[in-house]
Amino acid sequence: MKLKALIASASLVFATLAASPAHAAGTINVALHQDPGNWDPVATFLVSWGAVGGQLFDGLIIRTPDMKLVPGLATKWEFLDKNTKIRFTLRPNVKFHNGEPFDAEAVKFTFDRLLGEEGRKGPQQSNYNSIDKVVVVNPLTVDFVMKSPDPVLLTKLAGYGAMIVPPKYIKEKGSQHFGMNPVGTGPFKFVEYKPKISLGLERNAAYWGGAPKIDNLNYRFIGEPATQAAELQAGRIDVANQIPLAMIETLKKDPKLTVASMDGPVALALRYNTQRGIMKDREVRKALIMAVDRDAIIKSVLLGNARPIASFQGTLSFGNDPALKPLPFNPAQAKAMLQKAGVKPGTTVQLDFRGPDSNFREVAQAVAGYLGAVGVTVSLKPYDTNVLLNDIIPGGKTGEMWQNQWGGWTFDYDNTAYAMYYTKQRWNPFDDDAKLNALLHQQRNTWDQNARKKTLQEISRYVADQALEMPLYSLNTIYGLNKRAKNLELPADGRFRFVNATVE
Amino acid sequence: MSAFVFKRFLQAIFVVLVVTLFVSYAVRLSGDPALMLSQGAGSVTEQDLQNIRSGLGLDRPFLVQYAEFLRGIVVGDFGRSFMGGTPVARLIADALPATLALASVSLLLSILVSVPLGIQAAVKQGRGIDQFIRIFSLIGLSFPNFWLAIMLVLLLSITFPLLPPSGWDGPVSLIMPALTMAIILSATNVRLVRTAMLETLSAQYITVARSKGLKDRVVLYKHALRNCAIPLITYIGLQFGNLIGGIVVVEKVFNWPGLGTLAFDAIAGRDYPVLQGTVTVLSLVIVIVNLLVDMAYGLVDPRIRTR
Repeated sequence: MKLKALIASASLVFATLAASPAHAAGTINVALHQDPGNWDPVATFLVSWGAVGGQLFDGLIIRTPDMKLVPGLATKWEFLDKNTKIRFTLRPNVKFHNGEPFDAEAVKFTFDRLLGEEGRKGPQQSNYNSIDKVVVVNPLTVDFVMKSPDPVLLTKLAGYGAMIVPPKYIKEKGSQHFGMNPVGTGPFKFVEYKPKISLGLERNAAYWGGAPKIDNLNYRFIGEPATQAAELQAGRIDVANQIPLAMIETLKKDPKLTVASMDGPVALALRYNTQRGIMKDREVRKALIMAVDRDAIIKSVLLGNARPIASFQGTLSFGNDPALKPLPFNPAQAKAMLQKAGVKPGTTVQLDFRGPDSNFREVAQAVAGYLGAVGVTVSLKPYDTNVLLNDIIPGGKTGEMWQNQWGGWTFDYDNTAYAMYYTKQRWNPFDDDAKLNALLHQQRNTWDQNARKKTLQEISRYVADQALEMPLYSLNTIYGLNKRAKNLELPADGRFRFVNATVE
Repeated sequence: MSAFVFKRFLQAIFVVLVVTLFVSYAVRLSGDPALMLSQGAGSVTEQDLQNIRSGLGLDRPFLVQYAEFLRGIVVGDFGRSFMGGTPVARLIADALPATLALASVSLLLSILVSVPLGIQAAVKQGRGIDQFIRIFSLIGLSFPNFWLAIMLVLLLSITFPLLPPSGWDGPVSLIMPALTMAIILSATNVRLVRTAMLETLSAQYITVARSKGLKDRVVLYKHALRNCAIPLITYIGLQFGNLIGGIVVVEKVFNWPGLGTLAFDAIAGRDYPVLQGTVTVLSLVIVIVNLLVDMAYGLVDPRIRTR
């Protein structure tokens, strides 16, 4: 009896101590898998920066969660002088969080900084190199003078390095101070940043697009997906951006929670080393694609949270061709094709993959099983991710196949295809195809989006025909959500906008 | 005494030099921070990567970079993180207390549990309680720490929502991570105490103490325990190094804002300054703990003190 009383009182003490203050009225708590370490738009290129950037800052253009480009700090834009110049009309009466006015000088300052010394030290500049300079026409008009056409520019103005920053504040306080104490025009204002732990924001009541409904937005950096799930279950976070696949069903059963699984930006393929062994033969490469049942892998390993692809992009990607179908799963035909190509049963191929990626490890094992069934033995070679990406692939030291994973926030096949297939690009250590190069070049040098879409689709069909890779699937973006947070528009790329969100 | 401390100080410098030199060199062999930073940027050219590298100071020869790091230690500036430029000294100052708190509470908890249990097991050697303790310690040894951590979270945060599942929300947040570490440490420590005790208990002076009619408790805790304290302290001191290693996993699972998480993320992101800084501090901590262990010998054993 005494023991029971002791346990009861001890749990009471714990419960009082543990009652967390995390849910103040009107606060949404969000878990992010990583702390980018700096809130300056030019400093990093991390998804976790993008998730927060749109709360603090605005671009000239905003991309909505359903992928539409809408006016942001610019109210309209027009192409002039044979598309060598883009004129932006700026939104009047907008102020930065510190009271500094937003105007043409701020836009010029932002891009001078991005394209100059400060930007050169960071990873953002390369994405905006098509801009020659920004010219102030009057306080509410700027011209972007272009060096070369850049069909993805408008999208790129809606995020990351193109977010508009306050000139006076940065000149006075310096970039380092700015990175730790960011000031923008966005719907939320900076309150407090604890490196590696949390970031606190509060609503910007004077936001030009209408003030947010919630008072506070609180980010916590939690790297372990299982820990994010536990925090969600404990009711201490409302949005989790990393959920272990195995936890999805458990979370769905909780009446307070829900899980959203939707098309995302990340595509996976097994890229072939076309200069090695049996992979030199296109028919062999095709046979291997037909030997693997991707639908079964998606269903059993990824529990349905992916979609099979025919080219190295997801359904949301500009340039994706719904008419292009993946080669069918047909092990008998695959076997016959291999036999015809003179591949002896028991031939070994090596598959290099990112060792720490436990989901992909299972996928790789499944692929090895399917290829084994048509007489090709697969030796699985796990690498430290950094070593694989920095040394093995760009150095051309891979086995016959390697895990290729890619996801750009622009959702444009240009970004992917150029980096993957243009001669001597970092992710293309083996192939050198003049026709591909010409196509890639052609779509990059035009503003005509319709023509470009056709070219990009032609590229995807050509790559499929050459069988440069075994396309696998595009991974879903998965969020764990607490139902108390309402009106969340779920973005495919992790870049939430919390302006309309409310909380019970 | 001061000569002894001075010698140890020189040793510490040597250890830090060797460890950081090795770590700094090894981490540069695999991977490129510039590429880590620009992942997802589509059209990164070699020139862009080169610009980022020179912005981070990576285009200079390794020895120059290392000398810069050493100079930084002397003037108390560990540089800035590649990931965003936060001063490394600030990151470490935030993380070090969290890790030391977790490590010492875990160790203390494990000593409080394993010493009485180990003694009981030794005294009742071969009997029910001894078997029971040994089986439980075997089970404890077989637990992977991350599994134990997840089970504790499931039990104490989700099934019975008593404790916060992760992060730092005040002292309550210490309970689960410390418990995880302590259970695993105790499993080894119980066996250690039992063995040391068994040996001591068969010594003549114990028989003498018993025959003098001293109470069991006095014999065990005053005579026996003190005599087997030296091997125990030595072992626990050495264990501190392992503890810091094992803490990485536990910190990750509990999102503990400590040095383990910091070092882990720094390796994954090839964040050289943060990695060099944490390794320096961790090796200093271990050197200091070993120094304390040596000094503790004198406290528990008068024979060493008078020498």
